[in-house]
Amino acid sequence: MYKVGIDLGSSYTKGVLVDSSNQIIDYHLVKTGFDFNRSSKRIIDKFSENFKIDLPIYTCGYGREKLEVESVSNSEIMALAEAVYHLYNKKCSVIDIGGQDTKYIKINEIGKVDKFRMNRKCAAGTGSFLEEIAFRLDVSATEFNSFAEQATETIKINSFCTVFAVSEIVGMIKNGLTMPNIVLGIYNSILDRSFELANIDDSLILTGGIPDYHPIILKLIQKKIPNAVSPEKSQFMAAYGSVLLNTKRVN
Amino acid sequence: MAEIVKLQSVSHLRKTMDDYFVRLKDATETGSKKIAWCTSVGPAELLYSMGFEVYFPENHGAMLGAAKVADNYIPIAVAQGYSPDICSYLTSDVGAFLANETPLQKSGLASVPKPDVLVYNTNQCGEVQDWFEYYAKHFDVPIFGIITPLKINELTETIISGVAKQIEELVPELEKISGIKFDLDKFKETTRLSHDGCVLWRQVLETAQNLPAPINFFDSAIHMGPIVVMRGTKYAVDYYKILLAELEDRIKNNIAAVPTEQIRIYWDGMPLWYKLSSMAKLFSGLDTCVVASTYCNSWVFDDLDPENPFYSAGLAYCKLFIVRSDEEKQKVLEKLMDDFSIDGIIYHDSKTCARNSNNRFGLPVRLQESTNIPYLEINGDLNDSRCFSEEQSIIAIETFIDQLKSRKQ
Repeated sequence: MYKVGIDLGSSYTKGVLVDSSNQIIDYHLVKTGFDFNRSSKRIIDKFSENFKIDLPIYTCGYGREKLEVESVSNSEIMALAEAVYHLYNKKCSVIDIGGQDTKYIKINEIGKVDKFRMNRKCAAGTGSFLEEIAFRLDVSATEFNSFAEQATETIKINSFCTVFAVSEIVGMIKNGLTMPNIVLGIYNSILDRSFELANIDDSLILTGGIPDYHPIILKLIQKKIPNAVSPEKSQFMAAYGSVLLNTKRVN
Repeated sequence: MAEIVKLQSVSHLRKTMDDYFVRLKDATETGSKKIAWCTSVGPAELLYSMGFEVYFPENHGAMLGAAKVADNYIPIAVAQGYSPDICSYLTSDVGAFLANETPLQKSGLASVPKPDVLVYNTNQCGEVQDWFEYYAKHFDVPIFGIITPLKINELTETIISGVAKQIEELVPELEKISGIKFDLDKFKETTRLSHDGCVLWRQVLETAQNLPAPINFFDSAIHMGPIVVMRGTKYAVDYYKILLAELEDRIKNNIAAVPTEQIRIYWDGMPLWYKLSSMAKLFSGLDTCVVASTYCNSWVFDDLDPENPFYSAGLAYCKLFIVRSDEEKQKVLEKLMDDFSIDGIIYHDSKTCARNSNNRFGLPVRLQESTNIPYLEINGDLNDSRCFSEEQSIIAIETFIDQLKSRKQ
C-alpha cells in the first residue's frame, strides 16, 4: 500500500507517492486551475494506474481542504519543515520560493519550526513574478535560465511591483541593455526579496518550484551562502512532508 | 469546530450605544445642546462637563469598517485628492460624507451630526488634524488642537504640564461656543466618571488573565464602544458594571470565550474591522483565544484624578501606549505577556496606520529576545480590505498556532 501527499498550490498541484518506508516512489505535477478537487483527482488517478493507494490523502497548500476523497490537511510550512528535516536531519534555515509565496523557515536541532516568515502581500519575488515577466517578454523558463548564465554584469531592478518591473525592463531594452544582464538582474531581485525575510546565519536549504525550473537561483545564492543546497525535486517537498507529518512520527 | 460563547451583555451594549446616538440626534434636531467632534483620546471629559454632546469620527470610521462598507467610500475620498496610503478611517469617513451615507441613518440620524466645534488631540493619531480640518472648513466652524509629543521615553513634568496647559487653554474658547461657563466641579465630576469607567474597563480586560479567558479581543473590540465615546459619563460606568459582573460570573462558572482554549495570543495593532467575526471563528477553530491587545488596552486612563483634573488629563493622555518610545512600549508589553500568560504575539501591520503598527522598528525581535515568546506579522489594514490578503494570512496564522502548540508539547 502506498500513501499520497498533495500540495495544492496557487499555480501547481504537486503530488508524491510514498512507500511504507517513507521513500518517494513517484511524482506528479498538474496545473491547479480553478478546481482543487479536479487537480488532486488527476494526481490520485495517475498514481492509481500502477499502485494501490491508501486513504487518507495527506494535503497542504491553498486548496488543502477541498478534496472529495478522505484527506488530512496540514500546514504547508510545517510539512515543508518536516520534509527538510527528514532529508537533512539538522538545524537549518529554509527559503521556499513558490508561485505566490516566498517563505523563510527556521528549523531547530530537533526538527521543530522555531520561526517562519512569509513575503508581504505582494507577488514580487515569487514564481508569479518570474512567470509574468517571462510571459510579457515571450521567453521560456529554460531560456530565462540560460540568458542569466551568459550575463556579464547584473542590473538593478528597482520596482517592487511586477507590472511596473516589466515597464522598467522594457525601458532597459529600449536603452540597449542586453537580455542576459537584465535577466540576471531579475533573478537578483528575487533573491533580494527572499533575503529580506531573515538574516540567514546557518545552513540554507532552498526549496519550491523556482530552484527546480531556474537552477541558476541556487548558484546565485551560493555566492552569498556557499553551503546552500537544494534537494532534488524541491517543488515536491511540502507534499512529501504532508505524508511524513502524519506517518513518520506515528511510526 | 469550537463554538464562540456569546456575551449576554451585548443587548445592554446595543442599548447603551443606541441611547448615545439618540442623544446626538436630539441635540441635532432640537439644538438643545451644542455638538463637539472629538478624537478618540481627546478631552472628552472637558467637553462633556461643558454641556456638549460629543461625537467621535474615529468611532464612525470603525463602524464603516465593521459594517463592511468602508471599501465603497475610500475610492470617493481618493478621487477627492486623499491618498489611499493615509488613514483609512479618514478616507472611508470622508468618502461616506461625500456620498451622504452613514450607518447612523439606522439610528435615525439623517447624517453625521453637524459640529459646532472640533477638538482633536494628536496623541492617538496625527492625521486627525487633517481629517478634522476638512470638516472645520466644510462646516465653517472653529477647530482646536492639542499637540502631544511622540515617542516619549521619560514622561517629564514639562511634557505633562505642556499638554495639561493646552487642555486648560481650550476652556475660554469652548465657553464662547457652548455659552456655558466652565464649572470646575462639573469637570471634576466628569473626570471622576471617566476614571471610574476606565478602572472598570481595565477590570473587564483583566478578567482575560484567567485561564481560560472569559472574553476575547474580538468581543472587547466591540464592547469598548462606550469607553471611547462615553468616557466621562455615567453611561459608560453603568455599562461596564454590567459587563464586568457577567465576566466575573463566567470565571466563577468556568465559562470560556473559547471553550477549547489551548493557546493564548496577544494582538498588537488595529483590528481588521471587516473581518472581526471571521477572525474570531478562525482562532476559535484553532483552540486559540486572543486574550489581550494593544488596541483595547489603549483606553485605560486610570491616572485621571478628579482632584487634579487638568494635570491628570495631561498625565493620562501622555502615558498612552501609542505615544511612548519603543523602549517604554517594550516594558509595557513584557508585563502584559506575563500577566496574560501569552503563548504568542500577532502583529497586525496596518497599511494605513503606521502609528498603531508596532512592528516597524524592530520591536518584535527585541521582545522575542527578552521574553522568548514567538511572534507573527500579518499585513492588512483597519478598514481597507484591499490591503488584506486573507488566504495568505490564514495560512500564516494556522501555521503559527501549530508552531505554538508544538512548543507546548
